[in-house]
Amino acid sequence: MSIMENNGGSVIAMVGKECVAIACDLRLGNQALGVSSDFQKIFPVTDRIFLGLPGLGTDVTTLKELFRFRVNMYTIKEEREIEPETFAHLVSSTLYEHRFGPYFIEPVMAGLSKTPSGGFKPFIAATDLIGCLNFAKDFVVAGTASSKLFGVAEGLWEPDLEPEDLFETISQTIMNAVDRDAYSGWGCIVHVITKDQIVTRTLKARMD
Amino acid sequence: MLSVPHQQPNLHVQQAHGPQQRHFNPYTENGGTILAIAGKDFSVIAGDTRQSEGYSIQTRYAPKVFRLTDRAVLAVNGFAADGNMFVKKVRQRLEWYRHAHAKDMPLRAIARLIQTMLYARRFFPFYVYNILGGIEEDGTGAVYSFDPVGSYEREACRAAGAAQSLVQPFLDNQASTAKFSTSRTIPLTEELRSLSFSLSAELFLSGCYPIGNQTLVSSRPTVQTNPYQSARQPRMDNAIYHKWR
Repeated sequence: MSIMENNGGSVIAMVGKECVAIACDLRLGNQALGVSSDFQKIFPVTDRIFLGLPGLGTDVTTLKELFRFRVNMYTIKEEREIEPETFAHLVSSTLYEHRFGPYFIEPVMAGLSKTPSGGFKPFIAATDLIGCLNFAKDFVVAGTASSKLFGVAEGLWEPDLEPEDLFETISQTIMNAVDRDAYSGWGCIVHVITKDQIVTRTLKARMD
Repeated sequence: MLSVPHQQPNLHVQQAHGPQQRHFNPYTENGGTILAIAGKDFSVIAGDTRQSEGYSIQTRYAPKVFRLTDRAVLAVNGFAADGNMFVKKVRQRLEWYRHAHAKDMPLRAIARLIQTMLYARRFFPFYVYNILGGIEEDGTGAVYSFDPVGSYEREACRAAGAAQSLVQPFLDNQASTAKFSTSRTIPLTEELRSLSFSLSAELFLSGCYPIGNQTLVSSRPTVQTNPYQSARQPRMDNAIYHKWR
């Protein structure tokens, strides 16, 4: 079986009206065997950026620490927080450094970027395992349930969702997608990022 | 269409040099997607009409949803040649049943018939995924789905084919939000009937092109077969499409 499917897991991010949401499942498995139901794949990068890392479990842990290090170095050198667009390119170039022996991770990023007028603009992006960036305007998906996430998101998502509606949409999307994926599920976590708060909710899911 | 690997016949008589192997693969996959939704007293069954092989489109209008009786419609996805032959054989059996019993075969009986017909070919199967939709004898809407060797189940909704992984979780979601309980049907009422119908059409509009051949099965006396028209429907200027519609 593919190395990308060894541990399972999925992540999705969606754009709303002056908000973004990102969600992941909580399963960590060894092929068909479930090992953990508390394995988060989404990590905070700054106060306004979250990074999802579905893929090989060991690389999730490695890259989480690697990006923490690189973002800290950036913050010290630049004396400011990294912007989501910049962070997306950091992720991309970090992965492309390993073009011929890649980390088996398909990162998903969600955040709010500063506009010149002082406002915030929703930002989502995803890359493949060698760092090819995909800046989508609606939603991005990754992981073992990606095709299922695509199908449901394509049917449920609509533009300019308010934070509460965006939460409902992304929750319904990930729950229904992972319920049809043997390698994902066992609970979900959803983060909704708005300009003045981050709402994090844990969803109970089917355990069968 | 089935393609045979190109091999020039060897015209020269050669000396024997060990055993030679020939092979012929009798199956191909012709793509496409089908789906069905069961309601309280109706069911919706739909399929796209594209037939492809690999990245080539063979035709844009080869329907894979077939009316069997006034209360049963069969959608057949997978290997088109097997699908067409299978529908032909099912229809033949249904005709024999009509001659013998002077009535149409009930839906659950058709479902069991399809199981035995598929399992009869257990060791050279019809490479098709079947979805049977219609109205039961008690008037409830029903959907039956089958694997290629006849394993089957009555369900509230089912998708099969190339876009199964995209469509099935979406159908699950729509079924559960329509107050789906432990029942095998969605208790949709009259006003939700058209919604469910347009839902399946929207699915195909967002997923496939072109849309065509949708059949609504209703417990009402008249069976409607008018194609669904949506504001988002792409322009159909294909002469063949209009001719066959």
